[in-house]
Amino acid sequence: MSTPEHVNLDVPAGRTATGDGARQAPSPAPGTNRRRPLPWRRWLEILLLAGPGTAVFVTFVILPVLMAGYYGFFRWSGYGPPTEFVGLRNYQLILTDTAFLEALWHNGFILVMSLVLQGPVAIAIALLLNRRMRGRSLIRVLIFVPYVLSEVIVAIGFSLMLHSAGAVNDVLDRAGLGGLRQDWLADPDVAIWSLMLILVWKYIGFAVILMLAGLQGVPDELREAAAIDGASYWKTQWYITLPLLGPTIRIWAFLSIIGSLQVFDLVYVIWGQYVADTAGTSTMATYMVANGRISGAYGYGSAVAVVIFLISLVVALVYQRYLLRRDTEGALTGGAA
Amino acid sequence: MTRRNHRRAYAGAAGVLAGALALSACSGGTSPEGTTVEEGEPYTLTVWTNYTTGPGQNWFEEVAAQFEAEHENITVEAQHVQNEELDGKLQTALNSGDAPDVFLQRGGGKMKDMAAAGQLLDLTDTAVATPEMREKLGEASYEALSIDGQLLAAPQLIQPGGIWYSKDLFAEAGITELPETVEDLEDAIAKLQGAGITPIALGGKDAWPAAHWYYFFALRECSAETLEATNESLDFSDECYERAAQDVTDLAALEPFNEGFLTTSAQQGASSSAGLLANHKAAMELMGAWQPGVVMNLTPDQEPLDDLGWFPFPQVSSGEGDAAAIMGGQGGFSCSAAAPKELCGEFLALMNSEEHQEGFYEAFGTIPLHDDAKDVVTNEYDEQMLDALAEASYVSDFLDTNYGQQVGTALNQAVVELLTGGTDPAGFVSAVSDAAARS
Repeated sequence: MSTPEHVNLDVPAGRTATGDGARQAPSPAPGTNRRRPLPWRRWLEILLLAGPGTAVFVTFVILPVLMAGYYGFFRWSGYGPPTEFVGLRNYQLILTDTAFLEALWHNGFILVMSLVLQGPVAIAIALLLNRRMRGRSLIRVLIFVPYVLSEVIVAIGFSLMLHSAGAVNDVLDRAGLGGLRQDWLADPDVAIWSLMLILVWKYIGFAVILMLAGLQGVPDELREAAAIDGASYWKTQWYITLPLLGPTIRIWAFLSIIGSLQVFDLVYVIWGQYVADTAGTSTMATYMVANGRISGAYGYGSAVAVVIFLISLVVALVYQRYLLRRDTEGALTGGAA
Repeated sequence: MTRRNHRRAYAGAAGVLAGALALSACSGGTSPEGTTVEEGEPYTLTVWTNYTTGPGQNWFEEVAAQFEAEHENITVEAQHVQNEELDGKLQTALNSGDAPDVFLQRGGGKMKDMAAAGQLLDLTDTAVATPEMREKLGEASYEALSIDGQLLAAPQLIQPGGIWYSKDLFAEAGITELPETVEDLEDAIAKLQGAGITPIALGGKDAWPAAHWYYFFALRECSAETLEATNESLDFSDECYERAAQDVTDLAALEPFNEGFLTTSAQQGASSSAGLLANHKAAMELMGAWQPGVVMNLTPDQEPLDDLGWFPFPQVSSGEGDAAAIMGGQGGFSCSAAAPKELCGEFLALMNSEEHQEGFYEAFGTIPLHDDAKDVVTNEYDEQMLDALAEASYVSDFLDTNYGQQVGTALNQAVVELLTGGTDPAGFVSAVSDAAARS
C-alpha cells in the first residue's frame, strides 16, 4: 500500500544523503563501449530480470487487491463461491457504522500524535547523539532496540505490565502513588494513550536512526562557517541543520503516516480479537479482521479492505504530490522550515 | 473463539465435501451424492482433526489401525491441524474442491454455510446413522447436527457448560450449599467478597467467556421454544432476551469479576481466567466441560486441581426456561462432497463405537456420548454432568454457534459492552438485532 519507490531507505547508518538528488545512487553506467544490444535481447533481459518479481507482485499483491474489490460487492460467508451480489451495500454499511468511524478516528489520532510526539523528540535525540560523547554507540543501540523487537513480543510484554493487576500498578502502589493507578488498557479514556506511548517507544528508534542518517548529510563546512560568523549552537541547528534535514523529516513523516493508517499487530495482540472497540483502541485494520474474518463475512471484510486501501492511497498520493515532490525532484535545500 | 473451539473440537464430526461445490452452490441445497469405493479397491481416506496432543493422536491411530485392518486396501491418512488453523485451512480446501474426506465439524452456522454451498454429504443412510447408533449416541445429538432431515455430521461429543468452582475457597468463605438460584449465587458472591476472595474469574479479552454469562442467563430466561425459534429467525424481540441482558448487568454491578477482566484472556498462562481458578486466585468460572484439562495445565505442578467442583448454572426467578436445560458445545465429524459415502459412514461409526468412545474419554477427559461407554466415568463432576444431561429437558449449543459467525461475533462483543457499562440492556438487544438484520 505504501509506495515502494520511496522506501529505499535501507540507508547504512547515515551514508547516503537523504534528499540530495545529486548523490542518489548513480544509475548503472549505460552500456558505453558495447554495441547496442539487439532489441529482442533487451526484451529477454527485461523479462529475465523483472519477470519473476513482477509475476510474484501481480499474483500476491495486484490480484488480491482486485479480488477484494470483486468480493466487496457480495454478501459472502466464505463457503462456496460468492453468489449474493449486493452492489454497494457493504460500502454503505461501512461508512455508516459508528464502529468503523470510531476506528478511523483512532487511526487519525495515532497519525497526528505520532507526528507530534515522535518528530521533535527524535530530532532532539538525533542532535544529541550526533555530538561526540561517551557511550554514544551504546545509547544509539538502546534507542534502536525496541524497533528491532517483534511487535508481538512488545505487545505481550506491555499487556502484562499494563494489565490492571500488572507490574505498573503494582509499582505505583509500592511507591506510595496508588492514587495514580489506572486501568491502563481497559479504560477508554486511558487506553488510547497507552497505545500511543507504546507506539512511540517502539518507533522512536527508527525515527532517530533516520534523522541521524540525515544529519550525516549536513556538510560540516556549513556549520563551521556559521561558527565563524558567530552563530550559537542553537542558531546553527535552527537555521542550518533543520532546513537541511527537511527531506529526511518529510520521508520519515510519510512512513509514519502510512504506518499509522495500518496499525494492527500491537492492538490485535494486546486487546485481542474482540475488546479493542470497547477499550477505544480499534483501528481500521482490527475492524476489518473483526468484522470480516472473525465474523465470517468475507464480502464485508473485503469491502473494508478496499476502503482502507483507498484511504491509504489517497493520503500517500496527496503527500507525495505536495510534500515529497521537491525532494524527489532533487532539490537540496528546497526551503523547508 | 479460539481455545474454546479447541476444546469443543474434541467433538468432531465427520464432514464431507468435495469437488462439486461450484455446481451445488448454484443448485441451491441439493445434497451431493459422494462417491463409491468398490470392495478391495485401493483408497486413501483423508481425515483432518485438531488432535494435536499426544494422547489424542494415539487414540486416533488406534481407530485408524483398526479400520485399516477391517478394510482391505484402505489407508487412513490423518492431518492433525492446530485448532486455530483448522477452520481457515478447511475453508480453503473446501472451496478449492480439495477437501479431506472426513473432517472435524463444529456445527452451527458454519455447518449451515457449508451445507448451503453443497460441501457436505448427507450421512442419513450410512453406518453411523443406524437406529442402534442413534439410540446409543442419543437422538438429540443427531438432531443438533441435522438440517432439514439431512444428517450433515456424525455426533461425537457434547461438552456441557456450568460453573466450575474451588471447593476449598467455597469452604473458606463459609459457603455450604451450592447455589441453585441466582439469589444463592449472589449470596455466595457476597460471602466470597467478605472473605477477600475474587468470586468469579472472567477472561473478557476473548469475549466468548463473557458472552457465556449471557447465553446461560438467556437459557434460563427464555423458553426452549423461543430459543429454538430464534436460532432460525434471529429475531430477538422476545422480552426474555432483554431480561437476560438485565441479569448480566445486575451481576456485573456486584463487581464479582477479577480485576481487569476486560483484558484478561481465558486460557493462556497463570494470569488468564482459568489460571486464576487453577491458582486459587478466584473461586468460580463459567466454562464448558473442557475446563478440567485447561485448569490442569495451569496449576503450578500441572496436576489436576484437587478441589475442582462443578454445578449447573443457577435458575433465575423470572425464568421461562427450565432449570434442567443444558447448554454446551456439540460437535462431530463431517464428510466432504466427493468422499466415498459408505466408507466414510463406516469410519465414523467405528470412531463412535463403545470401545473408542471409552478411549476418547481417557484421551481427552470429555464425557462420552455413547451410552454403553458411560461406565468408564469415575470422577464426580463428570458423573454430575452425565446426570444433568440425562435429566436435561432441553440441550442447546452455545448461542454464538447457533447464530452463525456474524451474529455470534456481534453478540459476544455486545455482551462485553454490557459488562463494561458501554451499553444498557435495550441497547444490547438493538445492537444484536442490527447485526442480525445485516447478516
